[in-house]
Amino acid sequence: MHSLFGGATTRRAFLKTVGGGAAALAVGGIAMPAIAQSNNLTIVFNGNNENQTNALKAIIAAFEQQSGATVTLNQMDHEAHKTAIRNYLVAGAPDICFWFSGNRMKAFVDRGLFDDISDLFVQENYQSVLGGTINAVTVNGKQYGLPLAGTLWGNFYLKNVFEEKGLVAPTTWDELLTYGEAAKSAGMAPFAFASKELWPCAGFFDALNLRINGLESHIALMDGKMSYLDPALTAVFDRWEELIKGGFFLENHSSYGWQEAAPLLAQRKAGIMNLGNFIKYAIPEADLPHLTFVPFPKIADIPRFDDFSTDSVHIPANAKNKELGRQFLAFFYQPENLAAYLAPAGNVPPRNDLPPSSDPLVNAAVESLKQVQGTAQYYDRDTDPDMAQAGLNGFQEFMVRPERRQDILNRLEQTRTRIFKV
Amino acid sequence: MSNVWRRHRGWITPAIFILPAIVLFGVVIVASSLQSVWISLHEWDGFGPMQWIGLGNYEELFADPQFYTSLKNNVIWLVIFMLAPPLGLGIALLVNQQIKGMRIVKSLFFVPLVLASVAVGVVFTWVYTPQFGLLALLFSAFGASAPALLSDENLVTFAVVFAALWPQIAFCMVLYLAGLNSLSEDLIGAGRVDGARGWNMLRHVVLPQLTQVSFIAIAITAIGALRSFDMISVMTQGGPFGSSSVLAYQMYEQSIFSYRFGYGAAIATILFLIMLVFIVWYLNRIMRAEDRSA
Repeated sequence: MHSLFGGATTRRAFLKTVGGGAAALAVGGIAMPAIAQSNNLTIVFNGNNENQTNALKAIIAAFEQQSGATVTLNQMDHEAHKTAIRNYLVAGAPDICFWFSGNRMKAFVDRGLFDDISDLFVQENYQSVLGGTINAVTVNGKQYGLPLAGTLWGNFYLKNVFEEKGLVAPTTWDELLTYGEAAKSAGMAPFAFASKELWPCAGFFDALNLRINGLESHIALMDGKMSYLDPALTAVFDRWEELIKGGFFLENHSSYGWQEAAPLLAQRKAGIMNLGNFIKYAIPEADLPHLTFVPFPKIADIPRFDDFSTDSVHIPANAKNKELGRQFLAFFYQPENLAAYLAPAGNVPPRNDLPPSSDPLVNAAVESLKQVQGTAQYYDRDTDPDMAQAGLNGFQEFMVRPERRQDILNRLEQTRTRIFKV
Repeated sequence: MSNVWRRHRGWITPAIFILPAIVLFGVVIVASSLQSVWISLHEWDGFGPMQWIGLGNYEELFADPQFYTSLKNNVIWLVIFMLAPPLGLGIALLVNQQIKGMRIVKSLFFVPLVLASVAVGVVFTWVYTPQFGLLALLFSAFGASAPALLSDENLVTFAVVFAALWPQIAFCMVLYLAGLNSLSEDLIGAGRVDGARGWNMLRHVVLPQLTQVSFIAIAITAIGALRSFDMISVMTQGGPFGSSSVLAYQMYEQSIFSYRFGYGAAIATILFLIMLVFIVWYLNRIMRAEDRSA
C-alpha cells in the first residue's frame, strides 16, 4: 500500500515532466508543416479481444485508404488503461480514446476532458438510430461520445427447462409471484441469485427502481440529488423484501459468484437468472440454444426503462486533431463498420439499424431494446464510485438481513450526504 | 589521499555497502510511510487536487462501524493465528523422528508453504461452497447439511482464518525443524544422564534452546495476521457486507474502489500504529539479545 501511494505520485511527477517535455517539443516544432499535423490520427484502444482488435485494424486501414490520413493505434491493457486515461487526458491526449459511458464518462466531462461532439450527432443524425441509448453519452443535453458495445440486463431462463416444469416466464409482478410459487413447488429456486461479487444485488435494485419509480427518479438518486430515505424508495424495498421473505432467491447466495450460480439453470435447481447477456459464457453449450431473454416484469404503469451498460468512444478535449477525429468516428460508426467491430464480442449494438447478428440472443436483445424508452448504465456505473461501494454492500446486507433495512438506508443516506456534500 | 582512506576506511567500507539498502529503505518504506500519514490528513481521490481536512478522516474513521468490524476481525486473526507456533512445534517434533517414510510425511506438511496463498484461498472457497463443496459432501455423508460458512457473518472470519492458518502452521513447523536440528547434543546428553525423559526433557532442555525460534515464529505470525489481505480478497472480498473485512482490506477497498486515498491512508496509519507495538517489542527483544551476546 505504501509503495502504491508513492508510486502514484512519482508516476504523476514523471508524467508532468514528460508532458512538459512534450509541450516544449510542440512549441519548438511550430515550424513543422501544418498539413502533416492534420493528417495524423492517434487512437488509444483498450480492448482485449483479439478478433475485435483485428476488426478495428481493418476499419482503420479502410479509413486510411479513403481519407489519406495516417492512423496510429496504441493498444493498452484493459485494466491498466483505467488508470492511464486519467494521466493522458491531461498530458498528451490522443485524438480518439475508448472508454465507458454513463457516470464514468461524466467524471471526465465534468473536468472538461472530453470534447462536446453534439455537432457530429446533428450532422450524422444519430438521434434517430440510437433511441434511448443516447442518454448514456449525454450530459446537460450535449453528447460527449458514441456508445458502442452494450449489455442489456434482464431475466434469462432456459426454455426447455421451463417447458419441462410447466413454468411461465413472468412479465408482470403478479405473474412473478405465481411463477415463484410454481418454481418452488418444482423444487427450484425462483432466482439463481449470486451476490458474492456484490453487483448483482445492485442490478436487482436497478430493475425494481426503474420499474417502480422510472428513469428520472432513478438518475436523481444516482446523481445524489435524491435521498435514500425518500418515501418513493419504500415501495422498492417493500417489493424486494416480499421476494426475499418469500424465498425467491437462492439460499446462501452470498457464497456464490455468478459463474457458479448460472449453471444451476441447466441443473434445474433454479429457474431465472437476472443478469446481462454475458450469462451465456456460463451456460453449457448444449443448453445455449434454449437460453431466452425476457425483460424484468412490469410493476408500475410507466414506460419501460432498463439498464443498458455501454462502452463508448470519445474525442479528448486536448486532442490535437479533432476534425479528423470526427471524420474517423463518422466512418467507424457506419452500420457495416460498427457491426464488424461488435460481432466478435457478441454484444448488443447501440444502433437499431445494424444487420441482424448471428447470435439469436443479441437479436432478441435488439428487438427488446426498441421498446425501451430510456436506459440507465448500471448502479456502479451511474453513481459515484464511493457511493456505489457503500450501496453494493448495503444491498447485499439487505438481501441477507432484510430486518436491518432502516439501519442500512440511514447509512447509505449518511454516505450520500458526505459524498455529494448536500 | 591514501592516508585519508586508511584513516576512514573503518567506516567508509560498511557505509558504502549499506548505502543501497538505506536508500531503498528510505524511499520505499520511510518516505512512503510518511507520505501516507501526510495523505491521511487530506481528502484526495487519487488524481484531483488534494484538500487539507486535518484530522477529518480520523474523526470519520472512529465513527465508522465498519472500522470496528475490521478491527475486531484483526483481533480474531491475531488470536487464532497464535495457534500456529505451538501447532507448528507439535508437528515439527512429530516429523523429526527417525522413522521410515517420515520424509514423505514431512514434505506433505511442507506443501502448503509452497502454494501461493491465492491458490490456498481458492481451494478453500471450493471446499466451503454450499451444496457441492467438499465440506458439504462431508456433512451430507452424515446426513447433515453444512453451514454456508462464507455467507454467515459470524462464522466467515473464522472460516477464512482457518484457511490461512494452514500455511502458517507449515511455516512455523519449518522454523522449528531448523531449530530442532541445531539443538546442542551435549545438553541433551547431559539431560539424559541426569535422567530427564519425555515431558521433562522437552520442557527443561529442548524448549529453552528454542526460545529464539519461538520468538521469531510469534513475531512473524503476529505481523502476518495483521497484514492479512490476500486470503480475504480471494475468498470473500470482505463480504458478506463487510463482515469479514480487516483493516488492510478496508484500506484497499476505500482507496482503490471508492477512490478515497485520504481515508485509506488514515486506515493505513492506524494499522501501522498497531503493528508498531509488535515491531517495537520485536526490536526490543533483538537488541536485548544482542546486548547479552555482546
